[in-house]
Amino acid sequence: MTSMEQHPGDASVTDDGQQGDDIQIDQSRHNDSPPQTEKLPMSGVRIIDVGTFLAGPYAASILGEFGAEILKVEHPIAGDPMRRFGTPTKRHDATLAWLSEGRNRKSVTIDLRQKEGVQIFLKLVANSDVLIENFRPGTMEEWGLGWRELSGANPGLVMLRVSGYGQTGPYRRRSGFAHIAHAFGGLSYLAGFPGETPVLPGTTPLGDYMSSLYGAIGIMLALRHREKTGRGQVIDIATYEAVFRHLDEIAAAYGLFGKIREREGVGSFVAVPHGHFRTRDDKWIAIACTTDKMFERLAEAMERPELASTTLYGEQRKRLAARDVVNQIVIEWVGSLTREDVLNRCLEKEVPVGKVNSIADIFEDEHFQARGNLVRVEQEGLGEVVVPNVIPTLSETPGRITDLGPPLGNATYEVMRELLGISPDEIRQLRQRKII
Amino acid sequence: MIHETKAELPLAGIRVVDVATVIAAPHCATVLGEFGAEVLKVEHPLGGDALRRFGTPTRRQGDTLTWLSEARNKKSVTIDLHRREGVDLFKKLIEKSDILCENFRPGTLEKWGLGWEVLHAINPGLIMLRVTGYGQYGPYKDRPGFARIAHAVGGIAYLAGMPKGRPVTPGSTTLGDYLTGLYGCIGVLMALRYRERTGRGQYVDAALYESVFRCTDELVPIYGMYGIVRERHGPNHNEFECPHGHFPTKDGKWVAIACATDKLFGRLAMAMERPELASSSTYGDQKTRLENCHDVNEIVRDWCGSLTRDEVLERCYATGAPAGPLNNIADIFGDRQFHARRNLVAIDEEETGETIIVPCTIPKLSETPGKISHLGPKLGEHTADVLKDLLGMDDCQIDELRNKYVI
Repeated sequence: MTSMEQHPGDASVTDDGQQGDDIQIDQSRHNDSPPQTEKLPMSGVRIIDVGTFLAGPYAASILGEFGAEILKVEHPIAGDPMRRFGTPTKRHDATLAWLSEGRNRKSVTIDLRQKEGVQIFLKLVANSDVLIENFRPGTMEEWGLGWRELSGANPGLVMLRVSGYGQTGPYRRRSGFAHIAHAFGGLSYLAGFPGETPVLPGTTPLGDYMSSLYGAIGIMLALRHREKTGRGQVIDIATYEAVFRHLDEIAAAYGLFGKIREREGVGSFVAVPHGHFRTRDDKWIAIACTTDKMFERLAEAMERPELASTTLYGEQRKRLAARDVVNQIVIEWVGSLTREDVLNRCLEKEVPVGKVNSIADIFEDEHFQARGNLVRVEQEGLGEVVVPNVIPTLSETPGRITDLGPPLGNATYEVMRELLGISPDEIRQLRQRKII
Repeated sequence: MIHETKAELPLAGIRVVDVATVIAAPHCATVLGEFGAEVLKVEHPLGGDALRRFGTPTRRQGDTLTWLSEARNKKSVTIDLHRREGVDLFKKLIEKSDILCENFRPGTLEKWGLGWEVLHAINPGLIMLRVTGYGQYGPYKDRPGFARIAHAVGGIAYLAGMPKGRPVTPGSTTLGDYLTGLYGCIGVLMALRYRERTGRGQYVDAALYESVFRCTDELVPIYGMYGIVRERHGPNHNEFECPHGHFPTKDGKWVAIACATDKLFGRLAMAMERPELASSSTYGDQKTRLENCHDVNEIVRDWCGSLTRDEVLERCYATGAPAGPLNNIADIFGDRQFHARRNLVAIDEEETGETIIVPCTIPKLSETPGKISHLGPKLGEHTADVLKDLLGMDDCQIDELRNKYVI
């Protein structure tokens, strides 16, 4: 879902010709820090998230969970297209995906295609620490919001730029979404049965989350550098790069031996048995015997300890060579029992095993409950919305969800008035002219 | 040095002890190391990290390509934590370090007398990353966990594969490991920031299944609100957008196409030279396309099947339709963008004469880019140096520990 598109809301916005008025700024409000009411690690850090969908914005979500103030800057009419992506709710400006992933933000509407909008945005940048964007490379520059202008407004600014292909290179202007990045980065080629249709690698926006995680790390590193030197910088991450970085030795093995990894179906090139198996009650279970010891335990769980002898399949090498035979033995054993039976027998012997959970299984699972992985948030007019909770868990400063995705523009007035010191009259005018 | 460093790296002066194995928690240390931290990989004197045996062997005895690539920048220090002297040595190391990464099953370090309480008392500013299959608490905490199992438990294995067919590996068995390493790294950097303000350390509790589960867009709220269970979608995910999938081309290759918005479908229709498909009376809006996704997919499949992969892509790029090749690793090595971005870096292993190509550091920071100073070290390569320089031991003491196989 990486958006390399132009600013949300391509519908052209009417311009009443009153551009160019300088916005009056109440100087006493400058450099206001966000409230430091909490002892969270990111409290005191203000982040502008002008991105769309997930790649980039998710980095803001994580930092917001740990105390940063997030200003989501959106087009006054259309807002982030994420608001329309996924399953609608009773709220006209929010799908379930938006509610969950737009968490902990204040929405501020500014039209960056208007000159005055750009001016207001630069003032916001001057009062912030981090800017996150994911337009197609060159778009912000076209609006007069390139790194030169932005760092001019705030030399300590840390800017995260997420895009399909990165800020450089021959493909930088191509539109990119996670689905394309999975394919381009080499992951999609590997998902599915050998010689058959490559399937989606489980979840569509995986690459968006991955690039955002690297983005969040980049921001933390850059903030650290800024605290030492006062200097800001740009973090450039392509979604395909995050995907490609996660393919263990695939590059090294091709580089050294010319080995092209192909689709592996349910298995893995490094270990046997290592896959998904159907149980008697038509459910699925995952078993991963990464080491010989694990296989020995499985053989015991199957009540066939002889399978783990050195003359049979006790060594990974032999199991890899007899992949089909070993898998068939496990398929038959698993197929003769219910999922609960297989699970219990394996767990008793400490075999690495797990249910292939559907979301329904997950909601019932006692471990998910004990870890608080599902959090129920009451939303006015919508009832209860269940979303994934914050991870990772920090012992001293755990993160939190304060709000789900905000209504469009819910903090525009507050930010214009209190942070930028713009008078109520001017705010009204800006609104009428659809600049904010 | 691969990169010419412009400024001191952000984590210069930070020391990380990585006593973890395989990829999950170690990937956190890897990223920290790329950006300037000193990473001491503490391994068992016999055999070391299991990652050394994971994947394809090299000429360097005992070390696979995965080890060489993923243990980049680390120093190997061997200590046997099953021995009391080893535990004492480890405590001294912790006293002089900032971050500890571990991924033993919960209770293992405690059993050795190296639990959080003990380590925190030795070094109150210590930040400890604890990665396990299921986390430090909860009913399944003692179960063995690997990424394969985490993909299953976390809900993404269920989603990969043909509808009603066998759930397949979601591309790679190691995704959950990397994801957890990244969440761990974020937790560690947060904790470091908090420590600088307060002097207080803390531990980060990350579970493999949680990282996978977190990356599932609205899978959770849609079940919570409407009871909808997402199933396997095969090559086409037409729940939110259409077309969105993989399509075969005339030359037996595959392309990915994703039309998240109507505008993008308009561009695809232009690329197909059938602009009428994007009119409001045909398939111009997402809702109509989703209702008729079988027909729309058929049209796109026919068009892709009539051209070679490169022809399809050229036409899509020309109109700005979102499309890309399903690259295999050979395609990637030949790709101009990978080259321009320097995503592949070749490093000569002098001893064996092998050239190892590995993925370069990401993300790219303009002021303080990361670096790869060397690939995965030999087992115990840095033990003597670290014991001497950091812990002030002399050759005699080191020899004694070696003779007793403590190090």
